[in-house]
Amino acid sequence: MKVSSRVSPAAPDADVIARVLAGDADAFGVLIQRYEPGLLRFATRMLGSVDAGADAVAEGLVRAYRHLASCREPGRFRTWVYRIVANRCKSHLARRSAGDVSLEDVPAMPDPEDGEAALERAERLAQVSQALSRLSPEKREAFVLKHIEGMSYEEIAAATGARIPTLKMRVHRAREALLEALKEHA
Amino acid sequence: MDPRLHRVLDGELDRDQLPADLRAELERLERATALLAAAPAAGSVAARVLAAVHRPHRALAARVGQWLYERHAVTLKLRPIWSLALAAALALIAVLAGRGTGPAVLAAGEGIAQFVGRFPGAHSVEVVGSFNDWRSGSLPLTDDDQDGVWNAEVVLPAGEHQYMFVVDGEKWVVDPLAGRYVDDGFGRQNALMIVRPVVR
Repeated sequence: MKVSSRVSPAAPDADVIARVLAGDADAFGVLIQRYEPGLLRFATRMLGSVDAGADAVAEGLVRAYRHLASCREPGRFRTWVYRIVANRCKSHLARRSAGDVSLEDVPAMPDPEDGEAALERAERLAQVSQALSRLSPEKREAFVLKHIEGMSYEEIAAATGARIPTLKMRVHRAREALLEALKEHA
Repeated sequence: MDPRLHRVLDGELDRDQLPADLRAELERLERATALLAAAPAAGSVAARVLAAVHRPHRALAARVGQWLYERHAVTLKLRPIWSLALAAALALIAVLAGRGTGPAVLAAGEGIAQFVGRFPGAHSVEVVGSFNDWRSGSLPLTDDDQDGVWNAEVVLPAGEHQYMFVVDGEKWVVDPLAGRYVDDGFGRQNALMIVRPVVR
């Protein structure tokens, strides 16, 4: 990846954003490096598909770049860009018809050469992924941001626009549904 | 689910205060979450994003102009009665204009590829392949009589073309009727279509 040599990879988001807005487009690579892994994880879990997740993140990051000047609090870029990608995920979900099932909702076929532990792990992951995919998008979003991306409720509120009590309720319901599904498969 | 579990997960209660059975539930949930966090996601999209970022952002008028010039798949949703009326009107115009429905005009070195697949219950089927850079959204198949058999006729350059069907927007399916297949380099196979040039 081409990353601007004039921006330290450790520079605060606000400094990097100021550099990008001053015309150094390559500096945006620093922000991509910083947030891409989490965004890909989030979008993949939201959409249940690696390819759709990549599309949503790519679209979201391009949109973030184009509208960077409208990021009012550059120090909170993380939640701002998660909000953009979350909206791209919702658009992708809305385009799917109700009966659609992602290919990755189907348990993966592990390679027998991977060994028993890996097979068991793949099976457990398929079960958990399926349970996650059965949640409503709002609950899934809140759960993934809380427990996979490690955000606080305040950060999730900034990323989703929902109120904290609503988010707590969504996360609680998601945990209950997930735990129930895990018990079924125990 | 015991409310104490939520309180621990929300950082309001120390996990040591949970009884053993609840701690086991907590650990089960944590293992599931760790599994999801470690599950593979897509490869980096950085190159794709930076390429888009470096592409000059054209003015709105230029984008509208290009949109008007480019080919687009247009889907019209009409009540059957309006579809019939529209079809009748178009037929009347064709008759009045003295034009029949002649064969498609093909350039030298082009041929017609026919894609047919049986996908009962599918909401949409399209074909992607080497001829459209494996991009979806440009070559839909149709199932006008809703018998589960989808088809499309496409003008393609003569030669060999690899392809797959995309069902309901995301299920990639190899054409079981293709007869010829080639390795896609990733351990799966693509169907192979040979298009013959039209003989004039």
